[in-house]
Amino acid sequence: MIEIKDLHASIETDEGEAKEIIKGLNLSIPAGEVHAIMGPNGAGKSTLAYILAGRDDYDVTGGMATLDGQDLLDLAPEERAAAGLFLAFQYPVEIPGVNMSMFLKTSINAIRKQRGEDELDALGMLKLIKAKTKELGIADDMMKRAVNVGFSGGEKKRNEVLQMAMLEPKFCILDETDSGLDIDALKIVAEGVNRLRAENRSFLVITHYQRLLDYIKPDVVHIMADGKIIKSGGPELALELEEKGYAGFIGKAA
Amino acid sequence: MSALALKPENLPTPKDEDWKYTNLSRALGDLKNVPAQDVQEILIHKTSGEVCVKPEDIMWKGVEGQHQNLRLKIVLEKGAQLTLIERHVGDGAYWKNMSTEITLGANARLNHIRIQEDSAESIQTNMVHITMERDAYLNSFSLNMGGKLTRHDIHMVLNGSNIDCSLNGVTLLKGNQHGDTTILMEHTAPHCLSNQFYRTILDDAARGVFQGKVHVHQAAQKTDGYQLSNTLLLSPKAEMDTKPELEIYADDVKCSHGATTGQLDEAPLFYLRSRGLSEAQARMLLVQAFVDEVVDKVSDTALHDEIKEKAGRWLEAALKSDD
Repeated sequence: MIEIKDLHASIETDEGEAKEIIKGLNLSIPAGEVHAIMGPNGAGKSTLAYILAGRDDYDVTGGMATLDGQDLLDLAPEERAAAGLFLAFQYPVEIPGVNMSMFLKTSINAIRKQRGEDELDALGMLKLIKAKTKELGIADDMMKRAVNVGFSGGEKKRNEVLQMAMLEPKFCILDETDSGLDIDALKIVAEGVNRLRAENRSFLVITHYQRLLDYIKPDVVHIMADGKIIKSGGPELALELEEKGYAGFIGKAA
Repeated sequence: MSALALKPENLPTPKDEDWKYTNLSRALGDLKNVPAQDVQEILIHKTSGEVCVKPEDIMWKGVEGQHQNLRLKIVLEKGAQLTLIERHVGDGAYWKNMSTEITLGANARLNHIRIQEDSAESIQTNMVHITMERDAYLNSFSLNMGGKLTRHDIHMVLNGSNIDCSLNGVTLLKGNQHGDTTILMEHTAPHCLSNQFYRTILDDAARGVFQGKVHVHQAAQKTDGYQLSNTLLLSPKAEMDTKPELEIYADDVKCSHGATTGQLDEAPLFYLRSRGLSEAQARMLLVQAFVDEVVDKVSDTALHDEIKEKAGRWLEAALKSDD
């Protein structure tokens, strides 16, 4: 499904110098699997998510990333979305003046169009929105509000999962989708994600907290530090990490 | 004989503080020497309690080569209600030297929608005086798209308590157009609400000016006075001059002003693109939303849609030419 090989990426600092953030990262996620990435602040986890989604603040200086064999790094963000990549943002962006139903409609039809499918008509769209919002316990009146404007932390994250459910991607990146959520909101979000688990869909779950992995069971856990993956293992690795803290692992790796 | 709003022999210059950013004399050129036409006056007078269900639609037409002396006078007596649509069109180079006088009696309600599509070579100056009495309501919306140079100079006096007035505007300028909105909002009585909400989009080498002052007199306790001017620049050559001011002599008021000028933010653009929208589609959605938030202040559905469509066409053309 997703193959990342020897990825290097840097960002331009305020002083105009290139600072390398991703330093030779390798990651392979087969179809149907859920992989978690954990790591200390500044390890480059969110940067990895943004690079895969196509934010252009970063310079990819080496390596490759493919989704089902298709080179992602050459594609515009919208083309990556159409190819099946979805990023649930750590900080979902507020878009004043654009209401949710308009946004969802535009997004779904933009992706359908790129995939060569017919646009959904108003009725089909309404049905889809109704079904998916119900699953996630989202009130109808949220569809009339401007995208993420005035949403609580939980509403914002649920909204990300809603979009994920509607766009039916192949590969989902969840960037700290659990951060700042109380346990009830966390359960709703995790259930939403679990409902989407499928043989032909993979997940990359970025988190600081082992707690999320109690609800979204990963197949593989990776520990990332200083721009690379330094250790991979089964779900037990997350528990070990919770006990020892990052220091133990990072110390060993260095 | 009616006096002209601005006298050609005594034009304001950029040396006058209020006219710092707008050089009327230079823009007028030869039109300065054209004698003014006889006054063209529209007087709308609604007597006490008169409620007009149907909007009144008036049109001011600019005529090539003329210096036009235009006067609009609106008087709504106590409790009268009106929706007025004021349209501006024209051909060629002309100067609409206009004055507008609006008097709203106690509990009167006016919705005033102005759609300004003057010709590309024209000048319009509109000196506006509005006085409102207690419990009166004004909702004004102005779409400014036309003209080589326009100046909308509004002086509002809130004379009684419990007045609710909002001034909203969308200004869309391209080429070498110059659009100036200058507002002096005077709160002289307590418990009044005033709200100024202006959004401007400038393309090419267009220049926008927004000067808004809220003056709260000592007697005007419990005033709510707000002012917001947001500008999007679509071109590096466009220029916006903004001067928000608060002058407050009462000690128990809520007042705020805000002004922003910038380009479209990258974060929402990326967010939308990550959801499948092309860059052009995402930009259009964001600029349309930027404008719609002000257009949404127009309560009449048909007018709302008409304005939205006009603005939408302008935006589409502006974004297309940038590709």
